[in-house]
Amino acid sequence: MHYIILSIFFPVLFGVFLLVRKEMEHRKNLLIAVSIAFIISALLTILALCLSGNGMFTLFNLAGRLPVLFKIDEISIIFASMTLIIYICAGVYSFVYMKHEEKEKRYYGFYLIVLGILIALCFAGNLITFYFFYELLTISSVPLVMHNRSREAIMAGLKYLFYSLCGAYMVLFGLYFVERYGNTLTFSAGGVISASAAAEHGEILLVLAMLMLIGFGVKAGMFPMHAWLPTAHPVAPAPASAVLSAVIVKAGVLAIVRVIYYIYGVSFLRGTWVQTAFMVLSLTTVFMGSMLAYREPVLKKRLAYSTVSQLSYILFGLAVMDAGSVAGGLLHVLSHGFIKAALFLCAGAVIYMTGKTRVDQLKGIGKEMPFIMWCFTIASLGLIGIPPTGGFLSKWYLAEGALSSGICGFSWIGPVVLLISALLTAGYLLPVVIQGFFPGEDYDYGALQKKEPPLFMTIPVLILTVLSVLIGLFPEWLLNYLSQIIEKII
Amino acid sequence: MDFVQNFPAVSILICLFAGIISSGLRGRAARYINTVLILTVIFLSFCTLGYVLDTGEAYVYVMGKFPAPWGNEIRAGVLEAFMALFFSIIMLFSMWGGIKKLGDEVEDGKVFLYYVLNDLLLSSLLALVYTNDLFTAYVFVEINTIAACGLIMIRQNGRTIEAAARYMIMSLLGSGLLLMGICMLYDLTGHLLMSNIRGQVEILFASGNYRIPLLVTIALMSVGLAIKSALFPFHAWLPDAYGYSTVSSAAILSSLVSKGYIFLLIKIIYRVIGFDIFYNSRIINILFVFGLMGMIFGSLSAIKENDVRRMIAFSSVAQIGYIYMGIGMGTQAGMAASVFHVLSHAATKSLLFIAAIGLTDVSGGSRQFIELTGAAYRNKWAGVAFTVGSLSMVGVPLFSGFISKLLFAQAAVQNNVKMLPALIVLGISTVLNAIYFMKTVIRIYTPVEERSYEGVKFGDMKLYVVTLVGFIVLNIFLGVSSQPIVDLIGQGLAMFS
Amino acid sequence: MILLVILIPVIAGVLLFLIPFKKRSQMEVFLEALVIINSILVWYLLFHRPAEIFTLANFTGNLSISFKVDGMSMVFGGLVSALWPFATLYAFEYMTKEEHEKVFFMFYTMTYGVTLGISLAANLLTMYFFYELLTLVTVPLVMHTLTREAILASRKYLYYSLGGAAFAFIGLIFVIIYGSTTNFVLGGVMDLTKIGERTNVLLLIYVMAFAGFGVKAAIFPFNSWLPDAGVAPTPVTALLHAVAVVKSGAFAIIRLTYYSFGTEFLKGTWAQTIVMLITMFTIVYGCSRAIKETHLKRRLAYSTISNLSYILFGVTIMTPLGMAGALTHLVFHAVMKISSFFCAGAIMHQTGRHYVHELDGMGYKMPAVFGIFTVSAFALMGVPGLAGFVSKWYLASAAVESGNVIAFFGIGCLLISALLTAIYMLTIVGRGFFPQRDFDMASLEGIKDPNWKMLLPLFVFTFCIAIFGLYSGPLVNFFTSVAAGVY
Repeated sequence: MHYIILSIFFPVLFGVFLLVRKEMEHRKNLLIAVSIAFIISALLTILALCLSGNGMFTLFNLAGRLPVLFKIDEISIIFASMTLIIYICAGVYSFVYMKHEEKEKRYYGFYLIVLGILIALCFAGNLITFYFFYELLTISSVPLVMHNRSREAIMAGLKYLFYSLCGAYMVLFGLYFVERYGNTLTFSAGGVISASAAAEHGEILLVLAMLMLIGFGVKAGMFPMHAWLPTAHPVAPAPASAVLSAVIVKAGVLAIVRVIYYIYGVSFLRGTWVQTAFMVLSLTTVFMGSMLAYREPVLKKRLAYSTVSQLSYILFGLAVMDAGSVAGGLLHVLSHGFIKAALFLCAGAVIYMTGKTRVDQLKGIGKEMPFIMWCFTIASLGLIGIPPTGGFLSKWYLAEGALSSGICGFSWIGPVVLLISALLTAGYLLPVVIQGFFPGEDYDYGALQKKEPPLFMTIPVLILTVLSVLIGLFPEWLLNYLSQIIEKII
Repeated sequence: MDFVQNFPAVSILICLFAGIISSGLRGRAARYINTVLILTVIFLSFCTLGYVLDTGEAYVYVMGKFPAPWGNEIRAGVLEAFMALFFSIIMLFSMWGGIKKLGDEVEDGKVFLYYVLNDLLLSSLLALVYTNDLFTAYVFVEINTIAACGLIMIRQNGRTIEAAARYMIMSLLGSGLLLMGICMLYDLTGHLLMSNIRGQVEILFASGNYRIPLLVTIALMSVGLAIKSALFPFHAWLPDAYGYSTVSSAAILSSLVSKGYIFLLIKIIYRVIGFDIFYNSRIINILFVFGLMGMIFGSLSAIKENDVRRMIAFSSVAQIGYIYMGIGMGTQAGMAASVFHVLSHAATKSLLFIAAIGLTDVSGGSRQFIELTGAAYRNKWAGVAFTVGSLSMVGVPLFSGFISKLLFAQAAVQNNVKMLPALIVLGISTVLNAIYFMKTVIRIYTPVEERSYEGVKFGDMKLYVVTLVGFIVLNIFLGVSSQPIVDLIGQGLAMFS
Repeated sequence: MILLVILIPVIAGVLLFLIPFKKRSQMEVFLEALVIINSILVWYLLFHRPAEIFTLANFTGNLSISFKVDGMSMVFGGLVSALWPFATLYAFEYMTKEEHEKVFFMFYTMTYGVTLGISLAANLLTMYFFYELLTLVTVPLVMHTLTREAILASRKYLYYSLGGAAFAFIGLIFVIIYGSTTNFVLGGVMDLTKIGERTNVLLLIYVMAFAGFGVKAAIFPFNSWLPDAGVAPTPVTALLHAVAVVKSGAFAIIRLTYYSFGTEFLKGTWAQTIVMLITMFTIVYGCSRAIKETHLKRRLAYSTISNLSYILFGVTIMTPLGMAGALTHLVFHAVMKISSFFCAGAIMHQTGRHYVHELDGMGYKMPAVFGIFTVSAFALMGVPGLAGFVSKWYLASAAVESGNVIAFFGIGCLLISALLTAIYMLTIVGRGFFPQRDFDMASLEGIKDPNWKMLLPLFVFTFCIAIFGLYSGPLVNFFTSVAAGVY
């Protein structure tokens, strides 16, 4: 039990401690302190995951009937481990990257706070606790976006903030009602809505479900509230973008998993207009994100649009509410996480070493930084969904689930949209690779310099890339684990 | 017959005599006589009040040896005695408050005239209050009018003469109507004594004869007195008369003269026509509507006004509207509220006039708002007094205005039809009152950068301050312990019928 | 005893004006001591409540000036007396830069007594009486700087307040006439047999009285005096225009709704719908005006307008839970808003800056003040873990429980307002901590946090915000039992 508390509060308190302390004289000291913090929090989280079992743990009562409650279930484990891995990789990466940004102390402070809050989100045992940390997450991740204090960054940060809060308040609206109409707010597989309330207030509850889905969908960049994402992610420092795009947005996904499968319950939502609307929205987002990414010249922005699109793959999987599609969705959570983090870190490495941000500047980059670009290529392939990467597998399951769900229309529209979007993904990612490695005849090989970044940058990229491939190569264990979860919730 | 029963008649008579004596004296002596006179009247009225309260019923005092229905009678009940007491107190304070100003504004040779007029006015007021004879009432109404005209004109500049002329014309119109009413009543009933008329009117009413003449009579008398007391559409004479005459005249006119007529009207309603008959005539609705309009338009005119004295004068129009609204409500409660408002308005309005003069004096004599800026710092007492008066007018608890507002509203609630208009107008009129009075209060408390005018010291205005304090105490007394007075009014009204 | 706590501040105020203090510090000690003693007395009184009604004087008829300590008085009186000593302490420091301190402190202290009078009043008339007095004693405070602006503002304040009271007065009359008693009784005193056919008239009167008292609680369209009154010195704006005066309006409406007309009479009528719609509109309107406003204090004033209507929204739900929610927000908002106002005051005091766009980068120069401001901003937004979330939770939860569809939309208004709050508060915080890259930090040279007299109240309030947010159970239980009529 204590490990849960510690794993949440240690990073938060350490982050606060960093923020209020005076500037350290040596950068080295700061880095040592931060790395120690990483190690300790990683250990604590692992201990919490291993030792806590399935018990519930109430910290205190927020107000009246609102306990702040933690519980570790299978979903928590998946999300927590992904968070931890990506977080530490990006953290290590930033040891080098942040050299060319100011106010590192503030960066690491908030970085750690966000880590603690993300862990708390994974462990949250009821909706109110989840909401609590969800808002904190928004607030504490804004400084990461605003970090370099350019006008653009500040505006982006505010945009992010207000979009997220807007979403959060939509959720809160639903929360007020769910608290009243549900048996409990504690996440329980199959839903908590009492039968009598469902019969009596069915319509209201459905409206609220839609509101909550859209609300949480803000964080997951779902249409119509996606506009913040392509603005906010690229302006952050690269490791922060990686974390934002790979992990923090997953908080939205986690939220939607919780709402659909643990609060409302599949039986309540299946076949309602809410499900249809949600599917429409997610498919729209999938397609639209890809199209926008295709047209985007700045690499990091292109990746951000790609995030919009890819996250809605997951949401679509969740919306279909079929065993296969949910498995695909959850699998895609992992693979997209690793891949997108790797891609952003690669883009960051390019910026760090060459200062180039636009795609058309990247001709021949593969010659200058072959290692990074190889990783980029592999990750790209994974995102497109080429076997044997994780991306292929997850998309396979998504499509299969959609086909087998038998929902009129969507069972085939879904896979078609996914396919088109995969093509578009290839269309916006592969040119970077191609131009990078095959700059064409007019490329001046004379000016070529090897600009491979330092080890602290390459190793995290490598780890993430390898993980994304590994998921695809050895999926059995993971799939078994997922099917256990799915059995419970469907 | 108790000795005390002579007091009402005595007080009327000594006033007349004092007036006659004063006409041969110089200013200072006349002033002493006047002061002593008023104090005596206060004492006599007080004794009468005590006596009537003690016996618990009104008594009729026959003037001369002729019994009813031919002779002349005086009737003293609780309400009459109390009104006499109250009027004379207000009179005293108003006198004191204006004495200094009087010396400045009135030629030395004419000061004694002022006191003569004052004595006559007081006697006519007392007569109006006490008399039980309609024709006597008419006679004293005329005396009252003439005395009031003199009081307006005593400060001689062009405007007061114009104002007095206007006042004269309107007043005579009013008393003419009253006279016609009295004549018709005499025709109809053959009596002039109030109690006798009443009996006849009741018989007439019961028989169903002469309905229309009776209605016309009621209308004539009501409108006549309404004109004289400046009910809304007939108020044109008022602002100039109150605004330009010397200050104690203004205070007396606004708080006593018009109230005397109102009291007479109330008396006629109860003692001559009979409350129920009056209530059944439609005149009452007209009075009600005029009252409401007066409340609004009086205040609106006051807001537009840029001269503080005229503003207060217009406020009187609004307040008289309140009183007529209460009468027009046609309930005992409304009537009681009106009577209370007569008291409270008398106490407040004279306070305001007298405070205002203190303020204008320290502002170079100018009455424009812009010059009044910061006046309350130059004359602290007047500032405080003006504030108290304003708050009372707005109807802030603790002051008399609140109680009358409370009584009006309570009365309004009991009347189904007139409730909403009365309440809403009451609310709006409070807002309007707040606007112009509070504007003034804030203005006088706004300091000016350069010290343009000299302030006054306490030593220069002892009597003035005493007056102000007296008024303030009176006001707060009415506001805080209103219960006995309301009881008194109720008792007095009950004795009327 | 009850009279004593009302009179001490009033007398202290007068004494303060009369005693010629040699040094400023003497006056400070005298005043602070008296205020603290009075607060202690008030708290003693709240815990040892006299059971019977204490009647001071009789007006006409059965109308009297009388006092009683019931649940509502405990809430409001406790709140006021807890905040006043801190606000006074803060005012000592703030007023060093203003003139005519004595007059200021005289009225400031008298206001304390009058506010207590409102909270302890046992019947509608007494409350009305103190309500009017409150207007009068606070006008000089608004006028304090005596600039043209201040005078216009105080005039406006006066007109609005007195005008509002005039309409509230009508309500008072009706309660007197149609009520079985004029004393406050939870559940209302309306005598249904007396009302008979006139239900609609009475409802109309209720709406009028609501609007009348609502003037002080700054409901739309009677709100424009409040931002203007912000010209007063900050201790006034903070304590009076965020707590004492405006909450008196809300308090009066609670008394009117729950203790005089009674929810049973009002619930489900068109009157309820109207007043609820008014509050809902005000909630959103206040926030949107706040966003447009660039003057710091005016922005906070608009925020107050919106938040007051949160309270009134709770009131208009007309269930015990709604009242509990309203009370919760009444207390919590007081702490949050006073904290943010004091921060604004501290900024003005230390730097003389009044506008939001002048605050770039100040977070680094005044970390304590800006940190506290951030906390209060989060609390006002309703970030979980801070006070605002809890009170909003109860309000919304009451709205859900009531099953009233309009109230459901009201929750929507609350949340829209929360978003707008985030926008207008966090842009300030953002400017403070994230000035743009090219901002010249050197221009802030010499600016620093204020001294302990200003910081101590701020820290205490912040602490309260956090405590209320994390552990509100007992307090809210208390409010619930007040609403259920236990006290």
